[in-house]
Amino acid sequence: MNVVTRHRRLDAIWASERGFRGWFSTVNHTDLGRMFLVTSFFFFIIGGILAMLIRAQLATPDSAFAGPDIYNQIFTMHGTIMMFLFAIPAFEGLAIYLLPKILGTRDLAFPRLTAYGYWCYVFGGSMLLVAMLLGIAPDSGWFMYTPLSNAIYSPGINTDFWLIGITFVEISAIAAAAEICVSILKFRAPGMTLAKMPIFAWYALVTALMILTGFPPLILGSILLEVERAFGFPFFQVELGGDSLLWQHLFWLFGHPEVYIIFLPAAGIVSTVLPVMCRTTLIGYGWIVAAIVALAFLSFGLWVHHMFTTGIPHMGLAFFSAASTLVAVPTAVQLFAWIGTMWKGRPELHLPMLHIMGFFATFVIGGLTGVMVAMVPFNWQVHDTAFITAHLHYVLFGGFVFPVFAGIYYWLPHVSGRKRFFRLGEFAFWLIFVGFHVTFFAMHWVGLLGQRRRIDTYTPEDGWTLINLISSVGSFVLSIGIAMVLLDVILHVLSSRKIRRNPWQAGTLDWAMMTPPPSYNFASLPHVDSRHPLADNPALPVRLAQGHGYLGTPRADWRETLMVDAATGRPEAHVIYPANTRLPILMSAVTGIFFLGLLLKTYWMVPIGMVGVAGLALRWVWMLGRRDDLGAQHVGQGVILPHASATDRSPGWWGSLFLMFANATLFGCLLFGFAFLWTVAPGWPPLVRFEPSFIELGVGVAAALGTALALRVAMAAVRNARATLPALGIALTGAVVFGACCAVMLWRAPPPVDHAYAATLFVLGSYGLFHAVLIVLMTGHLIARVWQGYTSPARRSEFAVVSLWGDYVAVIGSLVLLVGHLSGLSL
Amino acid sequence: MAPRGVILATTLLALNGCDGATSTLQTAGPAARVIADLWWAMLVGAVLIFMLVMALVVLAFVRRSPDVAADERGQVRVWIIALGLAFPMVVLAVLLGFGLVIGERLLPRDDVTVVQVSAQGQRWVWTFSYADAPGRVTEDILHIPAGQPVDVSITTADVIHSFWVPRLAGKLDAIPGRSNVLRIEADAPGDYQGLSAEFSGENYADFGFTVRAHDAAGWADFIAGETE
Amino acid sequence: MKDLVRILIAPLVWLAAFSAVYGLHGVICGFAVDGTVFGLSLARVLLVTAYVLAILVQVVLLWALYQDRFSSASVFVNFVGRASGWVGVIAAVWTMLPAVLTTYCG
Repeated sequence: MNVVTRHRRLDAIWASERGFRGWFSTVNHTDLGRMFLVTSFFFFIIGGILAMLIRAQLATPDSAFAGPDIYNQIFTMHGTIMMFLFAIPAFEGLAIYLLPKILGTRDLAFPRLTAYGYWCYVFGGSMLLVAMLLGIAPDSGWFMYTPLSNAIYSPGINTDFWLIGITFVEISAIAAAAEICVSILKFRAPGMTLAKMPIFAWYALVTALMILTGFPPLILGSILLEVERAFGFPFFQVELGGDSLLWQHLFWLFGHPEVYIIFLPAAGIVSTVLPVMCRTTLIGYGWIVAAIVALAFLSFGLWVHHMFTTGIPHMGLAFFSAASTLVAVPTAVQLFAWIGTMWKGRPELHLPMLHIMGFFATFVIGGLTGVMVAMVPFNWQVHDTAFITAHLHYVLFGGFVFPVFAGIYYWLPHVSGRKRFFRLGEFAFWLIFVGFHVTFFAMHWVGLLGQRRRIDTYTPEDGWTLINLISSVGSFVLSIGIAMVLLDVILHVLSSRKIRRNPWQAGTLDWAMMTPPPSYNFASLPHVDSRHPLADNPALPVRLAQGHGYLGTPRADWRETLMVDAATGRPEAHVIYPANTRLPILMSAVTGIFFLGLLLKTYWMVPIGMVGVAGLALRWVWMLGRRDDLGAQHVGQGVILPHASATDRSPGWWGSLFLMFANATLFGCLLFGFAFLWTVAPGWPPLVRFEPSFIELGVGVAAALGTALALRVAMAAVRNARATLPALGIALTGAVVFGACCAVMLWRAPPPVDHAYAATLFVLGSYGLFHAVLIVLMTGHLIARVWQGYTSPARRSEFAVVSLWGDYVAVIGSLVLLVGHLSGLSL
Repeated sequence: MAPRGVILATTLLALNGCDGATSTLQTAGPAARVIADLWWAMLVGAVLIFMLVMALVVLAFVRRSPDVAADERGQVRVWIIALGLAFPMVVLAVLLGFGLVIGERLLPRDDVTVVQVSAQGQRWVWTFSYADAPGRVTEDILHIPAGQPVDVSITTADVIHSFWVPRLAGKLDAIPGRSNVLRIEADAPGDYQGLSAEFSGENYADFGFTVRAHDAAGWADFIAGETE
Repeated sequence: MKDLVRILIAPLVWLAAFSAVYGLHGVICGFAVDGTVFGLSLARVLLVTAYVLAILVQVVLLWALYQDRFSSASVFVNFVGRASGWVGVIAAVWTMLPAVLTTYCG
């Protein structure tokens, strides 16, 4: 087979549908990555326009440009859009586009999930846009402090748009994060050990793990606040045993790691692009990996530094002040490693490098002011002033936007296959750089002069007029610069010349393919034995196109790839991906019905949405099944591998593991919230307790454990080709009994509107019940599979997945019942 | 970076003819003064560090010969261990020490001469009451004696607010169901502008108050109910 | 997966210990724990004990990460694992130091 035939055959298998119809059915990571990036930049522009409106309002004192009602929506939406609809999706888009290419494989672990995440993002984001167009956008500030955001002080639908829309969008973050983890650990080119992974993969892996840990607290907080607003469960109402500080803890438990979730991928871009611009390799690879890991963990120990003025005792503040200073150290390690890399090589000031220089200048200032605000006494003065606004823009614009622009200009030739022709980019950079510093530098000062953030106007006597005017002028220069970047990118895509391969002479695998990239990435998969495979062997792209790697021969209509051992990169299993389908967009639309029902308080839509999602999810997994065994396959290079469904650790198992990790974090936060209210909230103990029943507790725990055990028995049975239905039947019964025990707890508990205690108990019970239903559905699916002849020892991987969930439910189910019943004991 | 800011801001102050009524740097009380000193010290340190980093970046471009001598081990020793780890850890340890000591000093401690007042925030009015004058309530003006530490017990009747008198001390929040105590002190008699510094909705921008510090005689008059 | 655990374990344990000590502090202030032990306040004794324990656990972890028995086949993983072991020790000493130094409730 020659190169052209192979390309045609592979492209026929992997390509999306032609034209715009392909957007709705594509599951290809290159397409979806681009769609994610374009959409996120669309939101960036909207967020930017809102920023312009803010600066227009503040340009002069006593401004009559917008009243407080509109202005409050504008700044709330500016923050919300930039954080949730621009920064995180931009990372997801970049990771989705780049990871399989830089890891030397053909797609991410769960192609359909990529598409589902994208559509959840689009639909959730649209909800917020609609709210804005109707003038009923959220207006309590992007961190939604309760009680201001509760039903008493924000009675309109505005806040609900935020809570529900953002939770909808976060589905995409969680989905992408779980997928990125599995893809990096299990879907790499053979031979790529952990030590040989491109540094960007480490950044993406750690960021994804952080999303899985960082987002659940906010999701939980949003659920609790929405339930409080809709049904009056008093989680955050102090008169009824709630506490508004619980919201702040949950929000910042998310909010601080969020800053690093945004910064780390950008730092990953710098670590990838900067060495190429310096014609050398990064120094201290291992040190940087350790620094990233340290940064990730430390960033979870900082959240209270957003709460230094809430009256927490000084020792509590001091812990977080100390941790907030320490987190600067791993950042410094990276910074000096980058500068050292520049000294090691010969830096060339191409456009991406120019943006990296902008990043250095800006981010270092943001880091230094960050250390300042970590000092408790100084924080007491500048908290909630323009100083913080300036600081956070130095960190986020400096630490994210500049590196992302560097990344855009670095990978633009990869996406388009073209060379930059017009030289708008350099000019745009200087407009952005100067505009940014003019806008935000003096803002530090006006903060020290007492200008609070979020004020809609000020008087001439305040003495802030000139600084604000200068700041507003700077912001318009900045936006002209950004508009020029946009124009530059559009002109580039439309009108430039074709490039030769690998224009930057990079050493990573993303450049070892045609540009623009073909739908299948690599005609055959490389065997990697260094961190810079392309630098070691410049002929690699040609060898791969000629089919000299793994899986060089297209078979049937299979989208084939390999799964490898996480540590060593040894090939482990043969994977066939699902092809184009409209199921993801359909499922996210049905998910949208669920959220829309909650938003509009048309609660009859909610169960329709839930049943719809469950039905489509079952269809989703059912599609992957086969009725005959697929034997071990030759994958090239003399390697023969079993299909992934003949293993206990299939992609689905790994995906479940990471999803469970996020789920467990959410559950942990719920338990934390319970303990927090119990110990700290003023309105405790509650007057009425739950009446514990040791029979219900015993039966429920036994049922949960029995389910897990029965599922393990079923797993062993299918492996040894024995009958599985008896064990599955027992598991099903166990799950039903466990669910019944949760339901009884819900039934017998005191009314949840009376006290935060009962309200929390209600959420705990519902969490247990939800998981019982989940296990019932999963076990039911397995039973249907067995009946229809879809299982055998070589088609057994679904048993392992369900068993994993069974184990999880055994643990959390026992905890739910234990906490519920023991909390009723009067000590 | 920062010297430019200092010059700029000073010029602006002059141009505006402003008295810095809400400036954290025109201090009029011990707490604000300590914090302003901390700020100036940190500013100097930050400028030096920033210049060091930028100099290293610029030098990378202008240096003619590449680092042929240094191997990976040497590079790691210089850039990562010395500059990346040791340097920030020393600086940060010192700074953190200062921060904690100052924080301790600003805490409200038991003290017989302390004056007790209460502040309650409510959208959009502050109500003040006085332990020394039971039943006396003022709105949007807090009366205190000058030259004497005052403990303000801060509460809210609705959403979260924050009590902040920039020239006297840092801010402290009014949290539902809680009472937080902030120590303030004014050096001299006079009016000091106070601000509510936690976003509270529609009239947030105008939500402020005045702290009126009296001399000994004025305070005695106030307690006696002779001042309006 | 084991290699990932080697890399993540020390800072993970730090995070757990840090949260636990902060939680302990919250409980002490929330329930106004007072009383004295050997002339020292009970609250301070509890906090300092927790601090010392947290450091000890990190030291033991670091020691284990240097043992052949718990090492990985990969030199790189061992390096990163030990580096994050050091991160754990330093973070424990640094971030929980206020347990010894500052006023606990107030």
